[in-house]
Parts: sequence; C-alpha cells; structure tokens
Amino acid sequence: MKQPKILLLVVIALLPLTLVSCISGYAQLAKGWSGTAVHEGIIYVGTMDGRVVSINSSTENLEWSYSTTPVTAPSSGLSCGQTSASTAIYGTPVVDRDIVYISTYSGQVLALNMLARSQNLTFPQQRYGEWEWDCPIDNAKSNAIVADMLVHEDAIYVSSSNGRVYSLDKEFGDLNWESKVLDETHRKLWTSPVISGDALYVSTFDGHIYKLSLETGELLGWTFESDVGFASSPVIYEDTIFLGSFDRYLYAVKIGSDVPMWKFPQDKPVGNWFWASPVVNEDIVYAGCLDGRIYAIEAKTGGKLWEFNAGNPIVSSPVLVDNLLIVTDESGTVYVFDLSAELGDEAVPLKTISIGADVRSSFCAQEDLVYIRGEDNWIYVVDIDRGGVSWKVSLTIEE
Amino acid sequence: MSFVEVWNLIIGNPVLNVLIALSHLLSGSFGLAIIALTIIVRLISWPLTRRQLNSTKALQEMQPKIQELQKKYGKNQQKLKQEMMQLYKEAGVNPLGCLWPMLIQFPIWIALYQAIMSALATTPESLLGLAQRLYSWDIVNQAIPLKSHFLGLDLGSSGNIIIAIIVGGTMWVQQKMTQAPAVDPGQQSTQRMMTLMMPLMFGFITLMVPSGLALYWAVSNIIGIITQYFFTGGWGYLKFRSPFQSKQ
Repeated sequence: MKQPKILLLVVIALLPLTLVSCISGYAQLAKGWSGTAVHEGIIYVGTMDGRVVSINSSTENLEWSYSTTPVTAPSSGLSCGQTSASTAIYGTPVVDRDIVYISTYSGQVLALNMLARSQNLTFPQQRYGEWEWDCPIDNAKSNAIVADMLVHEDAIYVSSSNGRVYSLDKEFGDLNWESKVLDETHRKLWTSPVISGDALYVSTFDGHIYKLSLETGELLGWTFESDVGFASSPVIYEDTIFLGSFDRYLYAVKIGSDVPMWKFPQDKPVGNWFWASPVVNEDIVYAGCLDGRIYAIEAKTGGKLWEFNAGNPIVSSPVLVDNLLIVTDESGTVYVFDLSAELGDEAVPLKTISIGADVRSSFCAQEDLVYIRGEDNWIYVVDIDRGGVSWKVSLTIEE
Repeated sequence: MSFVEVWNLIIGNPVLNVLIALSHLLSGSFGLAIIALTIIVRLISWPLTRRQLNSTKALQEMQPKIQELQKKYGKNQQKLKQEMMQLYKEAGVNPLGCLWPMLIQFPIWIALYQAIMSALATTPESLLGLAQRLYSWDIVNQAIPLKSHFLGLDLGSSGNIIIAIIVGGTMWVQQKMTQAPAVDPGQQSTQRMMTLMMPLMFGFITLMVPSGLALYWAVSNIIGIITQYFFTGGWGYLKFRSPFQSKQ
C-alpha cells in the first residue's frame, strides 16, 4: 500500500518540477542577441534563428540571408519542447570592406562576402575571400562565442567560452595566436577585448583585467586583480579602463595601477550590475545599469553629474551621435538626451520613443536614425527627428 | 502577481540567494553549498523526520503482531485491513507518516532545480535573468559567477552515471532499512519490484537533471540512512549485520 503511494507522489512531484521548469524558463535556451551594424546604407544583423541578414535601408528590403549551421542544443535537464536549436548569434556583425564577419554560439567565425551571399553561392567561396574558422573546445565545456569580435588592422580578435582569446588572420582565417586567460573552473569568457596602443585588454568573470601583446598574445607585464568578477567588457579612454563589476560598482582602473582609480558610487553600490559597457566622451562616462538608471560620471573623479531613471533594466550600451546620447531600456523605450543642454541632477530626455518590443541587443545609430533589433526578431528603425519608428521589418522567415 | 512571481518571492528566490550566499561562505564551492543546504533542509524537516522514524520503529516492533494477523486473516483481505488499521490505531502509528518529510521536500526540489539552473547561468540569457533575482546582499553579489565544478562533477550538467548510481544505491538502502517484509507471496513480489523500481526510476531521473540536484538527493539519502541507523538502532530490515551492531 505504502509503495504505490510513494510512487504516485514521486510522479506527482516530478510533474510540477517539469512544468515549472518549462513555464518559468529556468533552463533558458541560448537565443542570441546580435546587435545591428550599418555600412553604406545596408543593415547587417544576426537573427534569432541563426541567420545573418542584410537589409537595404533605402528600399527596406532583404538583400541576402545566410543561415549558419543548425546544431543540436545541449541537454538542459528537464526542459521541454525544443531539442535542437539554430546556432544562436550574440556578437554584432563586423563589416570590413566587402566582408561581413560574424561569430556564433557554436564557436564559429565566418567571413561572408556580400557579393557571394547576394548570389546565394555555396559557402565558403574562397575566391571571394570567404572562410570559416571553428574554435576548438580545448577540454572546456563550450567553445561558444558570446562577445563581440574586434577587427583591427589585419587581424580579428575573438573571446571564447573555452577561456581563450584568439587572433585570426582577417584575410584567410588562419590562427595567429591563442592565449589562455581563464582556467577550467571559470571558463566563460563572454566579454569583448579592447585595444589600446600595442596591447589587447580583456576583462574576466573571475575579476581580472589582462594585458596581452597584440603580436603574440603573451601576457604583458601588468594584470589588474579584483575580488569580484567583471560583468561588462572594458572600455578604454585615454589611459583608463572603465568597466562594470558583479559587486554593483563601476570601476575606473588606470592602466598599470594595482588599485582602482575610483569606484562608482563612492559609498554604497547601485541597485544592480553595470552589465553594458559604458561610453566615454569628453571626460564623461555614460553608464547604463540593470537597476534601470543611466548615470553620467566624471571620468577623472568618479563623481556623479546626473542620472536618469528609466524604470527598466538597461542591457544595451548607450550610443553617442554628435551631441546626442541614445539609450534604450529592456522594455524597448528609446531615450534621447541632448548633451549640449543643461541636464541638472535628474536628467530629462529630449525625446522618449517606444518601439513596443523588448531590447537586449546592442544597437547603432547614424545621423538621425537608430537601428535596433527587438527580442521579437524585428528590426526597428527609429527616427529621432520625427520621434517615432520610421519603419520596421521582420527577420523571421515566413513558412 | 503571477504564479511564477509568487513562487519566486516565497520559495525560489530565497533558496537561490541562500545557496549563492552559502557558496561564498564556503570558499566559492557551489557543491559544498548544496551539501550545506541539504543539511539545513534536513534540520528544518527534523520534527517530521522524527515522526517518520518513530513510525518506522513502531512498525518494526509491531511486525510479530502484523505477521500473526496476516496468517490469521490472510484469506480475508478486508478483515485483515480492518484489523491492521485497528492495530495501528492502538499503537498510535500512522503508516503513511513517513511520507511527510518527502512531501515537504518537493517544493525544495523544485526550487533547488531552478536555483541550480539559474545560479550556474549556463547561457547568457540565464546570467542576465539572474541579475533580477538576486538580493542586494554583498555576500550574494560577490559570489557571482559561480564555479560549477565539484569533485569531478559539473553541477550544471546532467548525465553523470556515477552520481546516478549513488542516488539509486542510497535510495535502495534507505528503502530496505524501512520496509517490513511482506508475508503474502503476492505482496512479496510486488514489494520486491517496488523496492527495485523506485531507486531505478530515481537513478534514471538523475541522469536527466543537473548533477547539483542529484548531489542534493545523494546527500539527503545518506543523511537519511545515518539518522535511520542511529535512531532505530541498526540497519532495520536490511539483511546484513553492521560491524557496529552488537551481537544479541
């Protein structure tokens, strides 16, 4: 009598276990949040179904689309539904002359030629300069590429979830060097590298900033060490690195120094992480925070100039266009601040525009237009001048 | 407020944050944090566990009487049931009393499963989602991101056969310690099957859930075996003699 009851109870218990895990999405699949890049009137973006697309911003039409290879999703325990997924794309495409570089969550870097893709030729067309590079797993759990790539002179720099930074030859995709910056216990290297002078700087979830040689990938003399991991990619302004930490402070670290120049705020931490990289202009750091606020901070002192409460987490990095600061929050509201105006302690945006879709991706802006990929897999082109969505296009393929 | 929000507020987020805080206190070891949480849960459910152990002990002591009844009313199942219920009532024993500690642990299992998936943040979406579920305690924020490795296990991944065998094995031992052998041959075969089925089923489920949850089950079973051993004074119905058990 007792045993069937126990069995029944176990079945009853596992049913909600499965249901709750499905409903609330704890076993979250990697969907990707590729940002937008605009080059000569063409928008490039990675879609949520693992394609790279180009859209002509004049005609608002799709120019070409290339699907990255579907992969089997890793087991996520008692998750339901999807058992295989397209290759997620987190990194923003990088455009260099006639090549679009894209990285994928399955550890690939692809060089796509615009002409070859518009003719839908088999990939890769080497005569058009196309190539594909597969990141090794190297005993790690994953080789996923989450961070944005960096193209500099003849090389591409890539961070991988296997804890390594790679330098690839831009023309042929050959490996120049690799550098292991995280051990097997930390692994995830989800932050983008940044270049200053002849060195590459990379921040890690285990609380380090490493300085690597651009030529060889070797660790150079200086490493900054913190007790807490860094949540955002570093940004360098003059000789100072600005980045957010999991302890809910924004750090300013002078290159070569062992102690932070300042931490913001100076007293108790803010309400959440500085997830997005800040932007710095004319000695002012603009940092969006997951607590829903954007902070303007003096780069030299760490003193607060002003703040604005958007009310929703700020996941994407702000963008500067001339004297305008453009910020989006996660709920899809775009705030435009006129930096030439007096903003006071509590800034008031010049424009507030809602696109009606969540936003987690980085976005770009040119002249008066802001190009945003929503979490609904649509591209929204926001006209700042008119104060609304100028046009939008779906990135989903209709069956 | 949706069900998920209420759930997170009352159970999900407290378990998640306590687990992460424990991890920070225990040198950043998420595995040790799970073990510590298991001990805390077992301590909280101790009053219920004690009731269960008392029931088990009383049932063990009642076995001669039960067997007598089974012999006497073996052919009349209804009468046997009535007599046995009367016997339980007189002895003040609830034969289903052992289910309560298991029942109380179900929400913890669910919360722990979710906490492990959230805390280890295997995807960028999970890490971003985690930010909205953390308390503002320094101890919690300083622990992020967590290390997922413990004694060769990747606590966020499923499919580890060794931990599945340990979970199944410890569950089998615990069951064998508490289950009185049936007298009726029909019941005996059902009992044998059930004693085997439960550990096998749990072992199989262990292969599908993150190793962190499996670690919780394994440690919980081991604690159960130890408390059972010392509370009831031996291995119960498990047919081998403990080296610590004195010869009668």
